[in-house]
Amino acid sequence: MFRLIPLLLSVSLVATACSDGGGAADVYAASSLTDVLPRVVERYRMQNPDADINLVFGGSQALATQVEEGAPADIYIAANRAQAQRLVDANLATRPVVLAESTLVIAVREDAPWFTVDEIATARPRVAVAAAGVPVGGLTEAALDAMEPSLAAAFRAGIVTRDPSVRVVLSRVELGEADVAFVYATDVPSADGVRAIALGEQPPSNQYVATLVTDGGRAPDSDVESFFAFLAGTTAETAFVEFGFPLVAGN
Amino acid sequence: MVTQLRRLWVVPPIVFALFFVLPLVGLFVRALTDGDVGSELGSGRTWDALWLSVFTATFSLGISIAFGTPLAYMLARSRSTSMRLAASLLDLPLVLPPAVAGIALLAMFGRRGYAGEPLEGAGIALSFTTAGVIAAQVFVSAPYYVRTAYAGFVAADPRFEGVAHTLGLSRWRTFRRVTLPLVWPALAGGAVLCWARALGELGATLLFAGSLPGRTQTMPLAILAAFESSAGLAGAVSIAVILVAVALALLVVLHRFIGSQGAYQ
Repeated sequence: MFRLIPLLLSVSLVATACSDGGGAADVYAASSLTDVLPRVVERYRMQNPDADINLVFGGSQALATQVEEGAPADIYIAANRAQAQRLVDANLATRPVVLAESTLVIAVREDAPWFTVDEIATARPRVAVAAAGVPVGGLTEAALDAMEPSLAAAFRAGIVTRDPSVRVVLSRVELGEADVAFVYATDVPSADGVRAIALGEQPPSNQYVATLVTDGGRAPDSDVESFFAFLAGTTAETAFVEFGFPLVAGN
Repeated sequence: MVTQLRRLWVVPPIVFALFFVLPLVGLFVRALTDGDVGSELGSGRTWDALWLSVFTATFSLGISIAFGTPLAYMLARSRSTSMRLAASLLDLPLVLPPAVAGIALLAMFGRRGYAGEPLEGAGIALSFTTAGVIAAQVFVSAPYYVRTAYAGFVAADPRFEGVAHTLGLSRWRTFRRVTLPLVWPALAGGAVLCWARALGELGATLLFAGSLPGRTQTMPLAILAAFESSAGLAGAVSIAVILVAVALALLVVLHRFIGSQGAYQ
């Protein structure tokens, strides 16, 4: 009666063995890199026309969790150091390298009557932020903590949603559902009719850190190595600059 | 040998049942080993989300029953072709991905939506409110109730209603004493489906109502938020098992209730 089970098992094993196609690099990246990475891949393909690079975007935390749970990522790019370090510490990834930086800003609609942080705070706006566990959400909390208490209180009182990724936060302002959103400066150009207001002289910033996923000891194949080296190189850097990411000091 | 082979038909059902049971076993084992269910049970955020989930799903079911029952009856009893067409459209919302439902709700009832802007002017805001959560749930879950109720009304022979009517029963009493007992199992089954779908609603709620603890963050959104946070999978499974346990308990109670009401009088 249970003779079919070994057959079913062997069929499923064959299926898994086939699904891992050779030569492809799966890149798991923070959602704020949604626009710039396809350009980087495009440049890479000019030199390597046969390269097969798959881009997967999501919240840095969720992607790190997926890698911990065995997702077939070859390269992981987090929106902050802590998430990349989390995989390195767990012996799942190696060779962290900073690709770019970005700063936190307040996004408002182009027709909004505000130009400074103080003006926004006094207008009692509806505020969209990312959940505190997401890198941009953590940065937002730090920015609010650093603000004058009355301003921070005005922003905190207006929070209407704590979203799972920076692109969802930005969409709230783009659609007019919220009046202001705390996002990375480099996300703002991807939204229509939205402009950025700077957070003071020294705005909080984050770094995008790429790591090679080794999954506890797997050696990366040459295609993955080659794209990883390209990511940290000057051609990729010019793509980042085109999309408004400031140059990383010391790179 | 042949009789032994014939017994093999039990393999597919067992494999299929295991496919549903094993992930839940995995969830509970993971929660008990990695997770911290105790601290989640002691957290106000989890209770807020649980209460909000049960409240909104039940409220959504109430709306679906109040408005969906007459709609299903009207569609089932009408002989006009336009009504037949409308009835065939009942399946459409079922195939809409929740994200599409959320975007559609934003386009119409968002702050800058076609109906949302005038409503906002009148002081009625749906997006980012608990009412918005209920609107999203009704949008995705009501079709399950209306569809099942419609099938029930179609199956209930209208001649019984005609006989009761000629015997002098008013239209309302005919519905209550004749039609309702006939379709009760369908209505109850549809209600369970509708409530369950509303309880699990995630995509449309996130897009239309956002995720704010205590106001719009239902259990599925709290589980997503935990998954996206530093708590990761361990945090998510801890909240998830609480939702599964509560949902299971409520479903058992509901089925008991429906079972005992099977012989509706």
